[in-house]
Amino acid sequence: MMARHMALPARKSRLVIPRSFVYGAAAVVLVLGSIGLIVFSFYLVSLDKDIRTRFAGVRWALPAQVFAAPLELYAGLNLDAGDLKHELERLGYRDSGSLEGPGTFSLNRQGADIYVRAFHFWDGPRAESRISLKFDGAGVASVSDADSGESRDIVRMDPMLIGSIYPQQQGEDRVLVKLEEVPELLRDGLLAVEDRDFYDHFGISIRGVLRAMFVNLRAGHAVQGASTVTQQLVRNFFLTLDRTWTRKFNEMFMSILLERHYSKDDILEAYINEIYLGQDGNRAIHGFGLASWFYFNKPLGELRDHEVALLVGVVKGASYYNPRRNPVRAKDRRDLVLRVFKERGLIDEAEMRAAIERPLSVAGTKQGGVERYPAFVDLVKRQLRGQYKDSDLTDEGLRIFTTLDPRSQEALERNIAQGLAEIEKSRKLPAGTLESAGVVTSVGGGDVLGIVGGRDVRYSGFNRALDSRRSIGSLAKPFVYLTALEQGDRYNLHSMIDDEPIELRLPTKQIWSPMNYDRKLHGPQPLYMALAQSYNLPTVRLGLEVGEKAVANTLKQAGYTGNPALVPSMFLGAVDVAPVEVAQMYGTIAAGGFQSPLSAIREVTTKEGEPLNRYPIRVKQTLPEGPVYLVTWAMTQVMRLGTGRSAYGIVPDTMTLAGKSGTTDDLRDSWFSGFTGDRVAVVWVGRDDYKPMGLTGSSGALYIWSRLIRDLKAKPLDLIPPPDVEEQLADTVTGLKADEGCDSRLLIPYLRGYAPQSWAPCARAAESQPMQWLREIFE
Amino acid sequence: MRIGYKACFPARSALPAALAASLLLSACVTPTAQRTSSWPDNIGRTIPAPTAPGPGQNPTPGASTAHTPTPLYSPPVAVAPPPKVLPAYPKSADEISSQAVLSLMKQARSARAAGQYDQASGALERAQRIEPRNYFVWSALGRVYLDKKLYDNAESVAMKSNSLARGNVYVELENWKVIAAARQAQGDAIGALQAQVKVDEIQRDLAGG
Repeated sequence: MMARHMALPARKSRLVIPRSFVYGAAAVVLVLGSIGLIVFSFYLVSLDKDIRTRFAGVRWALPAQVFAAPLELYAGLNLDAGDLKHELERLGYRDSGSLEGPGTFSLNRQGADIYVRAFHFWDGPRAESRISLKFDGAGVASVSDADSGESRDIVRMDPMLIGSIYPQQQGEDRVLVKLEEVPELLRDGLLAVEDRDFYDHFGISIRGVLRAMFVNLRAGHAVQGASTVTQQLVRNFFLTLDRTWTRKFNEMFMSILLERHYSKDDILEAYINEIYLGQDGNRAIHGFGLASWFYFNKPLGELRDHEVALLVGVVKGASYYNPRRNPVRAKDRRDLVLRVFKERGLIDEAEMRAAIERPLSVAGTKQGGVERYPAFVDLVKRQLRGQYKDSDLTDEGLRIFTTLDPRSQEALERNIAQGLAEIEKSRKLPAGTLESAGVVTSVGGGDVLGIVGGRDVRYSGFNRALDSRRSIGSLAKPFVYLTALEQGDRYNLHSMIDDEPIELRLPTKQIWSPMNYDRKLHGPQPLYMALAQSYNLPTVRLGLEVGEKAVANTLKQAGYTGNPALVPSMFLGAVDVAPVEVAQMYGTIAAGGFQSPLSAIREVTTKEGEPLNRYPIRVKQTLPEGPVYLVTWAMTQVMRLGTGRSAYGIVPDTMTLAGKSGTTDDLRDSWFSGFTGDRVAVVWVGRDDYKPMGLTGSSGALYIWSRLIRDLKAKPLDLIPPPDVEEQLADTVTGLKADEGCDSRLLIPYLRGYAPQSWAPCARAAESQPMQWLREIFE
Repeated sequence: MRIGYKACFPARSALPAALAASLLLSACVTPTAQRTSSWPDNIGRTIPAPTAPGPGQNPTPGASTAHTPTPLYSPPVAVAPPPKVLPAYPKSADEISSQAVLSLMKQARSARAAGQYDQASGALERAQRIEPRNYFVWSALGRVYLDKKLYDNAESVAMKSNSLARGNVYVELENWKVIAAARQAQGDAIGALQAQVKVDEIQRDLAGG
């Protein structure tokens, strides 16, 4: 049969596809289809794997959180109502007239009520509590429980979060929150705006897309997004922001897969912690937990309606709706969100109106977030380096409790910023010419309380307090005098030292002939006066007598880590030291010769609060107590009658201070370093280009230093002689033992056993001396 | 090079400077006796000053009047041992500490009793920050550091307490005990013995006084 039709078929055979071909094609399609399916399955499996790895252990690299030292409240604390209000507001507490919940307070001149937040300290959790304070003229008079009225001895406020340690590039930062900690309004409001069908869809929402189109068309602009929360999460988690079909495709499948593996609540919680909500320099603000601190300086649980609405609004575009940069746009967006809240019945009409009336109330400056003290956080990082891996610090959510005292830090920042501007103005220097750095530490414990690395205190670049090693000039002098005073048989505070020209041939064959700052000679000077007036010639003379080696040793014992060249110019401060190290060295004197290595950290815990490391107070006696007391006494004379005396135009007379000015050649560096009973402070002023700026230590740094001391509310220096020191009245003319017969007498400390034994001619007691008898004969 | 140093008599050229200084200084004269501490001034009371002769007080005038003129700066004279009359030093932290500090010290005691040395030192360090010169706090810190086997630090902290105690034998007794134990633990037998001698001395004085 087939054969019969064989004639025609020549043409037809071209039309009829051979069966073998059909089979072949089918096979190819099938194979391709199968391959496609296999590839697709692989694709899905790989997506699935990605999702699960990313999601399983969650999941986020958590930068270490850095906390300031907590404010301790107790009866006797020198803190008035104004100060307390400031402290509380800095902590993000809200003056609400009555206690509405954690993080609120009410306050007047007589007292304050505070609803103290719960906080997990390194030594355990502390529950929230309500306390009452009473003030008197001296500060806090009493602290008691607001409910029971029972007295409380001491209450630790929650410490301020001052920064976090995130990776250098593209650092993501976040503060994790659990879904149950998220305020209901935020959770429901977020879904009302971003994804109304969240609890019904399977990852993608057709209805959502249609409704968004409709709503946006009606509104004339984009009000709702079409992506579900799941899709947005996937986008944030895995994908880049390019708008390609491949990405859309990936996003869709990943969303569906995510929904198959995880509960709605898990997904929502991840979303709340992941979503990008702002930028702070190169630190990306992720999640509502951190955004709440970043924008409002308080925990999520304390946000009010209008604040919740702003955060929800920012989701749509953190940069476009940045409330600090684009406040008008951000407020419009916030108010729109508030209307959606009302429309969905989350708030009522009155609440909506009240919220719309409110300003944005964003905390901090235009740039400012919680990254407030870059120079201090820099110090913290350096101290942690070597003890922790970088990844531990950037990923593990460690909690770092530091020594930063926000009050001291603030006083330092304010006085440096204002002081430089005022000095420039009065000296007719172009604004912005001067740079500065400063350090405040505690006496005895080695705590770094505040640190400023440059004039722009928010700038995290060059940290002059740590890295700018410059000549310290006369700041070195106390160590020369201390070295001499250690030799009680040779020197005491009233030993006379010549103020005469000196010419020294240096190993380089050059002649070194130092001069006094005023280029004058003042005749022999009592040792303490030579220091008080910062005379160079007596200092060099004394230094040469005790030797370069001995002075270098004293510098090192005080905490100087360098290796000074053993040349006479060392006595006048030809040693390069960073401000923080000056604070260390002066701190050793302030603590009576006991050196405490400076530390910025007290404790480190895991993110769950398990203690990892404590940094106990460390002390070591490195300088002898008696001579240190004598040089401290001489440094109080610097303040009373020497180069530091202008400080008493600023601080009250009752505040005993010890300090020393420092000026370098051609007025390139202006230093002042000194201490009270409980604070050491160092201030440097100069120019980055090392050019002369025309300021001495007394005209530049001291201006800032004395105002700083005034604002620190420090305790005065307490001059109680140690056992190996005795005090004796001296006749200031002869330096001999004086009594009420001498018109000009001064109580001077001596190393025990080395006070002069003979009476001065003016002393009444001297009259019974044989000398008097002899004199009478001649008369 | 002309380096000279004149022991005392101001040269003629120094007189104007010295006189100028004396004018400024005459205001600085303070009586030697009552030297109350301004610490801790935040709690509204002052540390009672030792009532016995303080280290700063002059020897009785007249004692040296019989001497023939001596060099202006006499060589060190062996100082007579201080009289063994015990001044009224505070015996416990209660006498010089604020309520806040006492409360932290109490916390530290119970933490220490429970073997929680970190908690104990943490509480004491908080107290130290409130009253940096409270030698009872430093002394207690020394004991806790000893418990924590931070021997070097324990010794230094006890020395620091001694330095601030300005002769308070009750505190010094405790501190020397800590120092002796810390030195012993570090294998410094001689140092430990020296510290023990101090302990014995003070105990003898206390028993005698």
